[in-house]
Amino acid sequence: MLKLFEHETLDVQNLSEEETAIRVEKLNLQFGQKHVLHNISMRIPKNRITSLIGQSGCGKSTLISCFNRMNDLAPDCRYDGSIFIGGRDINRRKENVSQLRTQVGMVFQRPNPFPMSIYDNVCYGLRLQGIRVRRYLDDAVEQSLKDAALWEEVKDRLFESAHILSGGQQQRLVIARALALKPDILLLDEPTSALDPLTTLFIEELMASLKKRCTIVIVTHNMQQAARVSDYTAFLHQGKLIEYADSDTLFTMPEHKQTEDYITGRYG
Amino acid sequence: MIKTRIEAIMNPAQRQSFVISFTAFLSTLLLLALVSVLALIIYRGVAYFWPAPVYSLTFVDDQTEQAKAVYARVFSEFHDQGDAVRLVVYSSSDAPHGTQALIDEDRILTLVESVNSADITLNDGLSVLGVPVQIRASDNVRYSEQAYASVAEKVSSIEQQIEDIRTRWLSAIHQKLSELDVRGVAMDAPAREKLNDAFRQWQNKIIKLEDQRDNYTLKIAMADGTTLSVPVASIEEIVFPGQLGVWGKVGVTFGHIGQFLIQSPKQANTAGGVFPALFGTVMMVFIMTIIVTPFGVLAAVYLNEYAPDNLLTAIIRISVSNMAGVPSIVYGVFGLGFFVYVVGGNIDALFFADTLPAPTLGTPGLFWAAMTMAILTLPVVIVATEEGLRRVPNGLRAGSYALGATKAETILHTVLPMASPGIMTGVILAIARAAGEVAPLMLVGAVKFAPNLPLDTEFPYMHLDRQFMHLGVLIYDGAFHSQTDAEGASMMFATCLLLLLVVLVLNILAVLLRARLRKRYLTN
Ligand SMILES: Nc1ncnc2c1ncn2[C@@H]1O[C@H](COP(=O)(O)OP(=O)(O)OP(=O)(O)O)[C@@H](O)[C@H]1O
Ligand SMILES: [Mg+2]
Repeated sequence: MLKLFEHETLDVQNLSEEETAIRVEKLNLQFGQKHVLHNISMRIPKNRITSLIGQSGCGKSTLISCFNRMNDLAPDCRYDGSIFIGGRDINRRKENVSQLRTQVGMVFQRPNPFPMSIYDNVCYGLRLQGIRVRRYLDDAVEQSLKDAALWEEVKDRLFESAHILSGGQQQRLVIARALALKPDILLLDEPTSALDPLTTLFIEELMASLKKRCTIVIVTHNMQQAARVSDYTAFLHQGKLIEYADSDTLFTMPEHKQTEDYITGRYG
Repeated sequence: MIKTRIEAIMNPAQRQSFVISFTAFLSTLLLLALVSVLALIIYRGVAYFWPAPVYSLTFVDDQTEQAKAVYARVFSEFHDQGDAVRLVVYSSSDAPHGTQALIDEDRILTLVESVNSADITLNDGLSVLGVPVQIRASDNVRYSEQAYASVAEKVSSIEQQIEDIRTRWLSAIHQKLSELDVRGVAMDAPAREKLNDAFRQWQNKIIKLEDQRDNYTLKIAMADGTTLSVPVASIEEIVFPGQLGVWGKVGVTFGHIGQFLIQSPKQANTAGGVFPALFGTVMMVFIMTIIVTPFGVLAAVYLNEYAPDNLLTAIIRISVSNMAGVPSIVYGVFGLGFFVYVVGGNIDALFFADTLPAPTLGTPGLFWAAMTMAILTLPVVIVATEEGLRRVPNGLRAGSYALGATKAETILHTVLPMASPGIMTGVILAIARAAGEVAPLMLVGAVKFAPNLPLDTEFPYMHLDRQFMHLGVLIYDGAFHSQTDAEGASMMFATCLLLLLVVLVLNILAVLLRARLRKRYLTN
């Protein structure tokens, strides 16, 4: 199987603390009466790409939203268990959620650039932190757009509306917007599902190149994509973590019957 | 029953085309009604500025039963129990400033347009119809346009001198005198004497200049051969409608429109201009907009973004939409009872107790009027803003939160800018409503005549406690003159036209602004 970057394979079941970016322990989550995540425990390795796969509605989005507490926005959401990022439990009540979200960036399924200029989009997070120095912002915009492989295409129209960009460009702009905050972790929720194959490939390459700088967790419905880009893959079924291993193992020799059924397409 | 009958005579295709033509007919009717209202107002409004012809008229006077020759303006002809009757305004030697009369057609002996006679408008808004014959200065000169122009120039230069003395010298001396008063200088101090002397000297100068000015008079011949002398200084304009071509009349019309916009009303709102009312209307609308927008937006943000989804919120929402349907006079009563008496009265008792019982804020005024209109238009702004907020995609909110924004930051930086076209829609509707309301304003500060503008050079420049004039009130006032006063009635139409234009201009401004915002915050 083609890999863009080769490196030693870790055993995700026995990761050391230094190798762990996110440690989830006994996470349970409910929306009202609906139990969505059941007792999930896992360690997500640093500077690697980990993908979450599973049937629609199994709780993938909900799980990655736990990593930056986006679920807090749903009024009837309750959860327990712990999630350790950078050595502290982010599920604590007094966690500074705004700060956490600058540390853990998120990109959504549909590109959602703000109705502002490209420049202002990238600066949004920095400005929220009170950064107003023009030189610093200019540099940050250039660097983030370069990191997101968008600079060459937009450098002459930074002050035009972000809505003139194509879907793929918009998605890269949204990634640049998240990267501007220099996050440790980047959460991508089906980032390519609205894009054509070529643009998808482009974003996949981008992810591979970002691996050096941050930990990436990606939700995808595309088995090939998961196998292609991710180092590790977790399979979720009805809110339970069924199998979690390095992608080569999971896609070639799955341990569980459910996993095999899903990756060979016997589930929907 | 009717339905079965229709079915009996028409097949489905016919029925459909019948429905279409019926609705088309109704829409046409509606459009016609709208157009005819507009046409009437535009026609009568513009006619007020158009130089109407002066007729020379002889008729048999009802009282003396003798023929009477006058110059007149003829307004309309109508039938009173079978007799044709004309409404005329004429100048005669015993009443040069115009008498309004209804004259039976069969009492009119002659009625021809007079080329020589002029419509002479005086500074106080009255007008005289007659033939200018002679200008009296040091010597008598036959009337001609050039002669009049040169005399008028002399008169205005004298007036300029008087004005100069008043502003440069008299007011300076006045100020010094009052400074002496403040310092408590004795009444017979030499400094005071000196100033008083100077004052008297300048005053004598003014009297002399005024005499000199009043030496210039215009002799006007009336239709019956008598003449009338009018000081040139009191004449505003002389127009010969009979000698003007179409373009000349158009020019005069524009001149009148200009005067209408910059002058104050004269003769109990039946002549002159409407500037104070125009100013009052626009200022009231502006202040109202400044008050209502933040309140409406904050209320909508609370309802849409913060309020829990429960019964209380639902009740608040329903009340807000119902508030839009409350008759406006009720708001007027509320404004008078609450803002003026309770709020204003208490402010007076607390801060202006030394001037009581004369009220300072406890009396109808511009600010209370703007507040009342703000309450009246608040529901419109809230509903439109909520609509705008609801249209902001949740994906954008999530995007903002994901970058570390708090709820308040998300609302401020993302949600509100995107809802701004909706907010503007609300403001447009509020402006349109506020500019057109009259009834509540009459209770809380709009008056038929206000001596001072709410904005002037006197500290604190903006006098929000003052009563103000309003175009709508002027129209209301004009409607009562319309039975008796031909010109006042026309002025009502002209004011109507102006009010429509004001609303139109305010709306166009707001719509343009909204279009810009829409373009800017367009989402894909
Ligand atoms: N805000 C919410 N309130 C109530 N239920 C929710 C909420 N968000 C998600 N759910 C429910 O939680 C379950 C998991 O949803 P989630 O969005 O995590 O699924 P998913 O695995 O991401 O699916 P997909 O692949 O279709 O995106 C679903 O049954 C969904 O109906
Ligand atoms: Mg999902």
